Amino acid sequence: MRVSLIVAGLVAGCAVAQAQNKLVLDGSTTVGPIAKAFAESYMRQNPGVNITVSESGSGNGAKALLNGTCDIANLSRDLKDTEKKAMEEKGLKPVAHVVAYDALPVIVHPSNKVKGLTIEQIRGIFTGTIKNWKEVGGVDQAIVVISRDTNSGTFESFKELVLGKDAKIIDSAEYTGSNGAVRQRVQMTKGAISYAGLGFVDKTVKALEINGVAPRAETVLNKTYPISRSLFMFTNGEPAADSLAAKFIGLSLTDKGREIIEEIGFVPVPAKK
Amino acid sequence: MHMRTRRFLDRAFTSAACLAVGLMVLFLLFVLGPIFVKGAGAYVFMGTVEHRRMMLDQFDRGNEERVTAEWLDVQQARRPVYEALSAFEKELPGLPAARRKELKPAFKAVREGVAELLGPEPGEPLPALTRKMYGQTRWTKAQEKLKEIRFEESWDYSAGAGRKVLTSRQPLFDGTALAPLFPLLERDARKLLRPRLTFYPRFLTDVSIDAHFFGGIGPEVLGTMYLALGAMLIAVPLGIIAAIYFQEYAKEGPVMTFLRSCVNTLAGVPSIVFGLFGLAFFINTMHVSSGKSVLAGALTLALLVLPTVIRSSEEAIAAVPRAYKEGAMALGAGPWRTILTVILPAALPGILTGIVISMGRAAGETAPIIFTAAVSVGKMIGPTEIASQPTPALSWNLYNLCTEHEAVNEIRHVQFGMAATLVVIVLALNLVAILIRARVARRLKG
Repeated sequence: MRVSLIVAGLVAGCAVAQAQNKLVLDGSTTVGPIAKAFAESYMRQNPGVNITVSESGSGNGAKALLNGTCDIANLSRDLKDTEKKAMEEKGLKPVAHVVAYDALPVIVHPSNKVKGLTIEQIRGIFTGTIKNWKEVGGVDQAIVVISRDTNSGTFESFKELVLGKDAKIIDSAEYTGSNGAVRQRVQMTKGAISYAGLGFVDKTVKALEINGVAPRAETVLNKTYPISRSLFMFTNGEPAADSLAAKFIGLSLTDKGREIIEEIGFVPVPAKK
Repeated sequence: MHMRTRRFLDRAFTSAACLAVGLMVLFLLFVLGPIFVKGAGAYVFMGTVEHRRMMLDQFDRGNEERVTAEWLDVQQARRPVYEALSAFEKELPGLPAARRKELKPAFKAVREGVAELLGPEPGEPLPALTRKMYGQTRWTKAQEKLKEIRFEESWDYSAGAGRKVLTSRQPLFDGTALAPLFPLLERDARKLLRPRLTFYPRFLTDVSIDAHFFGGIGPEVLGTMYLALGAMLIAVPLGIIAAIYFQEYAKEGPVMTFLRSCVNTLAGVPSIVFGLFGLAFFINTMHVSSGKSVLAGALTLALLVLPTVIRSSEEAIAAVPRAYKEGAMALGAGPWRTILTVILPAALPGILTGIVISMGRAAGETAPIIFTAAVSVGKMIGPTEIASQPTPALSWNLYNLCTEHEAVNEIRHVQFGMAATLVVIVLALNLVAILIRARVARRLKG
């Protein structure tokens, strides 16, 4: 009897230790760099902890949370109704934590002379009514539409914010698996147009002005840039205040966390005044 | 006539074969050459003082006294750079409005460029990300940044499609306090950064710092080892037992034909299917771990290499002369004893070759571990954690660093280093296979 109690205690102790020194994150490739930098920063302060980050896309992040294979799901969009319903049916209570804001810069090859587009023009390009750059003030060159895959939160956000829910993307569009891959495709393709998270846009591609507004931290915060969104980390239930998940997500509201987010290129959530 | 045709055909065949072999060698050189040359750059390179400073800070390595002394010297050498920057900053508000408008963005670019090249300015607060705490640690990269400071890259759209134009920034700042900066950077770059031939063999075992900007690929190498060895530990016993059953026990018939074709089909299943199966079966159904883990990955990889192990073991067992078996039987050994003491030892070289080659395959596969074991960032894990923790692994992280990483262009040396390391590991495994085979064959003969 006593032995079995000790054994049970040991097992329980191990389980708690396990739960406390391990944090598994899965999901969005947009939130990936933030999660990776947070993980590094956190593990440096707490060397006994192993935080792992996978970047498999928002859709897979939501599935991982549903299947209980991750502690935190990184999503670059809100949960879909179908996902919420599936989680509730399983008895899960998904809780959203906004960790940062992001614009969705529309990017083209730097040799493209087009400086900006309107939302309507972008919609036209992605749905196939505009097929040549000369129709929007560029040179005579076919437009190559590059989109993110349908598992991507960036794709969902872009579709919702720009194209409308029922819009159908042109059949000839290329689908690409991550933000980094989108940028590489655009920097190699002269007629290309695509979109990616703010932290992924560097000088190898050109970010267009939309309705005359350039994607920047200020234009995201004052909501003048029309394609802006929140970046989320989802947990199952509100994590206990002293839990690893709560401390990890809480980083995004500390000065250090904000600095990290800013240095990567995203927009930190402003401090409440 | 007949003879001549024959000879002609013979020669034609020989030359075609030589051509094929030659092409293959050329192709190998063409593919592997650059990987090895550039991959070696991760281990041996011209490291700057920033590299030595980073190693001292982050890994506590290097001679502290010497690095500090060098750092003081370098700071001295850098002083004119920062003096020029701050002098110009003071001068800027006093310039005519038009000139100010022209120079302000250029100055901002130069200042940012200098911060990228030399690290944050003295007196500035330290950035949060390690990647921004140091200047360029590699001389080749530093030269690129130097060029970006000295030349402005812009696009000329006058001819329709844009053309890249590089314009020197120096003339723009002529007559200002910033003018001396450009010749200084050009002339004294080596004094500012002190490039020196650096050997970094611990790239192989070091952890990465700040998403692979600095440090090495230790967790990935370890993860690959765990996965490959784990897969073999599971696949080898199963595979050999199956092969023995197929060859020695099973009776030929429709069931056997069916089972054989199952094994053959399994060998032809695309690896991503194994990956998805691993996720659905081992993780979501069997719950071998709460999420991705080395164990789940090793199980999936084991399934992937199982057909190869079975087939190569079967062939090795079938190649054992019948006389061995009959001899053993005639001496009164039972079937089990015959297999264990006569057939298996004789078949060992063939079985081992199959095992080691499968291990090379398991080490290099990406698709099966995406959903079952591999993560972009994670620690080196201990052997006790393989059942619960996922791990980075060379094959998957190479893909991740080349496509998904936020700064693909900044970490080329890590990508090539990883690729070269993976190729060397696989080649080394194949070499081991050849050596074992030769050794065992020799021992069996003698």
